[in-house]
Amino acid sequence: MTYRSASLVAYVAFFVLLMVLPFFLNSFWTNRMATYLVYSICALGIAMSWGYAGILSLGQGLFFGMGAYMLAMSLTLADPGNNPVPELMLLNMEPDAVRDLCCVTTGSFLWIPFRWVTVGILAGIVVPCILAALIGYVMFKRRTTGVYVSIITLAFALIGQLLIINNQPLTGGFNGLASLAALEIAGFEFDPYGPSVYYLVMFTLLVVMLLARYLLSGRVGQVLKAIREDEARARYLGYDVENYKLFIFCVSAGVAGLAGMLFTVTSEFAAPSLMATSFSISMVIWAATGGRASLLGACIGALIVNFIGSLASESATFQPVWPIILGALFVFVVLVMPNGIAGLFKDFFDRRSASANDGHAVPATAEGS
Amino acid sequence: MLMTAIDGKQAFEPVASPILRTRNLTVRFDEFPAVRDVNLDIADGELRVVIGANGAGKSTLLDLLCGKTLPSEGEIWLRDKNIAGIGEAAIARSGIGRKFQTPTVFKDMTVLENLQVASNRRVRVFENLFERIAGKANEREAAVAERTGLQDSLNRRASELSHGQLQWLELAMVLSQEPKIILLDEPAAGMTAAETDKTAGLLLDLAGDHTVLVIEHDMAFVRQICRTITVMHQGSVLAEGTAEEIEHNPAVIEAYLGSATLSHA
Repeated sequence: MTYRSASLVAYVAFFVLLMVLPFFLNSFWTNRMATYLVYSICALGIAMSWGYAGILSLGQGLFFGMGAYMLAMSLTLADPGNNPVPELMLLNMEPDAVRDLCCVTTGSFLWIPFRWVTVGILAGIVVPCILAALIGYVMFKRRTTGVYVSIITLAFALIGQLLIINNQPLTGGFNGLASLAALEIAGFEFDPYGPSVYYLVMFTLLVVMLLARYLLSGRVGQVLKAIREDEARARYLGYDVENYKLFIFCVSAGVAGLAGMLFTVTSEFAAPSLMATSFSISMVIWAATGGRASLLGACIGALIVNFIGSLASESATFQPVWPIILGALFVFVVLVMPNGIAGLFKDFFDRRSASANDGHAVPATAEGS
Repeated sequence: MLMTAIDGKQAFEPVASPILRTRNLTVRFDEFPAVRDVNLDIADGELRVVIGANGAGKSTLLDLLCGKTLPSEGEIWLRDKNIAGIGEAAIARSGIGRKFQTPTVFKDMTVLENLQVASNRRVRVFENLFERIAGKANEREAAVAERTGLQDSLNRRASELSHGQLQWLELAMVLSQEPKIILLDEPAAGMTAAETDKTAGLLLDLAGDHTVLVIEHDMAFVRQICRTITVMHQGSVLAEGTAEEIEHNPAVIEAYLGSATLSHA
């Protein structure tokens, strides 16, 4: 079996497994798995920018959180208990303020478009993209690369988190948004603990995966890989490196926003903790463990790390040391297996075909599988 | 072309149809002029060799021409377009290809992938969204691979190539860009005698269809491709002429502290 066909088998097996999984899970674990698949989507976004273009964003939580908040705002307003204005605003308004979204608290008019869930859903992808475009434009036009990109994105995530926490009358502050209606699309209500939300997330993952594969197996993916290898060379071949980086950074942010929205659906809240540094770094660890240069690998990495994490959180011994284990895992992966689980998989096939060919003619790299 | 006077501000014999012209091209690094007042006129299809001692400003001159370094003063005209300061990518798209002294290729990609990235002329992101990658070389890529002797290595990863082959690969990439002007920084460095001969043959072959600007140390190699030579010294153009003229030019001899260095290098 060649690497190509083996990875195709892996893709198919992965999704078939995900298809049948809910039949064996109780409602608690169905919801858990749905949340882990949300994390997979997020890890996939990281694989696109980090694995393919070498842009390591440590602020992916900002885009994830923005996506979560956008949909959470719509779902807050959809909850009957939050009419005509959300409870969080009633708690924080001036005593004589008008009880209307236009002016109950400073800036509350920003919520008005979110009365329509469609706006919330669109904003959940578009707002992170625009935000990424602004941050990316500033970074990439100044030719910021490598670790500086990581530091800048990290800083922006912190700024985002502070803005949310410090504007309690508008955002719910530290508590976030937690009294949400269930997501309803065309009269169908999604149940976070039932298979409906699970399959919503799973099919979103499938679609994002297929689109990402299509994009990255084409010319754009090839040029991004070239940019990752040698930015200057790509420039002397006539490519506007900054535009390519900006593009994939925005796509990655949009994917994170989409994942954030689905997080709101599975977990029924949005909170500033989603923009915390530790969460952004966790996302990178998922992708690194599974294999940053592999879309499927990154997804599997997110599932495995979170699954083990949830087992650890139920044990009194492992629960307090889990962050330490996670950190150690990251160091281990970076030092010992830089391409993660998917890298081991690929090495296995490379070695096999190399020995089959008696050492010469190593097959063309089929990275990103 | 006749021998011209010493110093960068010489009066030029106008070239028939210059494709590349520089006017008072100067760059200073912390006030130190690495290149100063360079005026070059390079004819369409010419093979021009730039020689000079280490630190004479040869590589910096190429850096200026390909946009790697921004000029402090002066202009660079590609036909009737001033390309100074428009950015590396835009310069490359206007038709200038550069090969570096140490080969810069995409090491983790195959030879074919390297050529594909180079030969693709639709460079913008949104033009490429739906662009698929062919599994094998197209006509142009195959021709370039043939010309540089890489036709049997297309599926090998660039990191597995020898140093000489890497030089060929980078040259092949530059060729598949189909540039009007090719800038080469010591193309024969690190090559065996046979490879050097092949390189010389290729350069002579390229001139005419392309305009080629070569930096070279090796006078034997220069004589082999024997065309117009520009001598640089301390950032300025010291002399221009044929190999023979250059070797008997008193200013050049003086700059090199005796003719021995130059003619027997």
